[in-house]
Amino acid sequence: MLEINDLHVAVGGKEILKGLSLSIAAGEVHAIMGPNGSGKSTLSYVLAGREGYEITSGSILYRGVDLASMAPEERAAKGVFLAMQYPVEIPGVTTMNFLKTALNAQRRARGEKDIDALGVLRLVREKAKALHISEEMLKRALNVGFSGGEKKRLEILQMALLEPALAILDETDSGLDIDALKVVADGVNALRSPERAVLVITHYQRLLNYIVPDRVHVLYSGRIIKEGGKELAHELEAKGYAEIIKAAA
Amino acid sequence: MSALALPNRRVEDWKYSDLRNAIDTDAVESAGTASWTVSLSGAVEQTAWPEIMPRGVHGDMGALAAARAQTGLFLRVGKGERGTAHLSLSQDGHGRVLIIVEDGAALILRETAAPDGFANIAFDVVLGKGARLEHVRQTERNDAVRIGDYSLRLAQSATYRAHFADFGAKLSRTELHIALEGEGAQAHLSGVSVLDNGGHADVTTRVVHAIGNTQSTQLFKIIAGGKSRGVYQGKVSVAEGANGTDSRQTAKGLLLGERAEIDLKPELEILADDVKCAHGAAIGDLDPESLFYLRSRGVSESEARALLMRAFLEDAVAEIADEAIRTEVWSQVEAHLQRVSA
Repeated sequence: MLEINDLHVAVGGKEILKGLSLSIAAGEVHAIMGPNGSGKSTLSYVLAGREGYEITSGSILYRGVDLASMAPEERAAKGVFLAMQYPVEIPGVTTMNFLKTALNAQRRARGEKDIDALGVLRLVREKAKALHISEEMLKRALNVGFSGGEKKRLEILQMALLEPALAILDETDSGLDIDALKVVADGVNALRSPERAVLVITHYQRLLNYIVPDRVHVLYSGRIIKEGGKELAHELEAKGYAEIIKAAA
Repeated sequence: MSALALPNRRVEDWKYSDLRNAIDTDAVESAGTASWTVSLSGAVEQTAWPEIMPRGVHGDMGALAAARAQTGLFLRVGKGERGTAHLSLSQDGHGRVLIIVEDGAALILRETAAPDGFANIAFDVVLGKGARLEHVRQTERNDAVRIGDYSLRLAQSATYRAHFADFGAKLSRTELHIALEGEGAQAHLSGVSVLDNGGHADVTTRVVHAIGNTQSTQLFKIIAGGKSRGVYQGKVSVAEGANGTDSRQTAKGLLLGERAEIDLKPELEILADDVKCAHGAAIGDLDPESLFYLRSRGVSESEARALLMRAFLEDAVAEIADEAIRTEVWSQVEAHLQRVSA
């Protein structure tokens, strides 16, 4: 599904990713773990197509197509979703209206018909319930005045609604208490299927107790320095990053 | 004022709206008398122009209109009555309108304007004790040179709510002189200007808190694309001893055209001690983080921009109390946002 090959990315002229390679097949859940400043967020933004992240060499293939040549909205319509670490607050746009706009924009891009307001409402209600998102929250302006946990749950609601083929979760666990973490993990696990892939980007192993990955990659200084199965996450938690970085050096 | 000396950019009050540059003095001199298509419902009377006019403060052009048009349109809502009036300017020229809403009465006033020549109208509005006026002015995008100069006087506990939706003209100037003369009087002013290439819209408000325990709010949003110019000048004066005055003003601009210009000029003059006055003005561009967030969810760039522009205007349009008028203003706004984005 996703093939990243020797990827180099610069931000503001400074190289952040320095030869990152990663391969994720459909049906798999991968985790990228790394200390602060290792390039985790840069990877998530470059996959979603944010401006200012310049690919200086290497390639990203998504379902065999060059991802970098697509606009962010094209990537989304083709099934790439990034749950952001810092969801943006947009006053003046209600959450419900935003969800409807996003859902129908993607449907239109795929040549499907719009779902009417009532249909979207029904769909959103059903998914929101499982994520403990209230009707009142959906009426409020997008992310405005939401707590950290509410913002993260709303990211997962968007994912559940848009049903992406490749979901990337950027530090979705940060700022969540244990109950919210379980709710979020259930949301992600509900999406797991043989046709879909998930990339969980995190600093801590905690979330991976609930979203159990097939592969774990350690990112440090813009490169993957170690890979393994789910036990690698536990090893990291026990020993800390320093030891693994030292061993890889 | 000599008719030969039209306000121009060297006059502080008209710095951003150079009338002399927009129209020939001759055209102003020779302009005829304006008229309206009037539709009334409820207890609104249209009667003969009175012999004695209430005193009111006008700007230079309002004074000129009053001097040129000896009479005009006079609407009155009697004590405790209520009604609605829709005025649609049908003939250009100098004109006068007098509106009296008596004690405890309520009027919904809607104004639309279609002609694209020169229109210069002086409005005198008097609100009695506890009277209420909901006013919405919507203008079409055209090449008109139009000036609306409003003088309003509010008695005790009277309420004036006004919204000005302006989509630009060769020169469009809306000027309000509001006097809060009785305790508990309040004026809530809002407006949106959505300007595409060649458009100009200037809203200038002067609110005088003549007595204590009066309230005023001003919320104005301007979107300027292409080569256009949007102006908001808002002055709030609190008279000596007018304690308990509460005034809030917000003006924001979204500058989308490289050759567009937005001028925001808030001004406060406070001669009392115990007052709450806050004002803020800011001009910016669409937030790139918000744009990326929407696009990353599949919303096209143009749709994301339109959504953010609509969001920018949201709270100002929401100030329109009448739902039917609000819906209509929204559809007008949306049509013009497309012109701005195009």
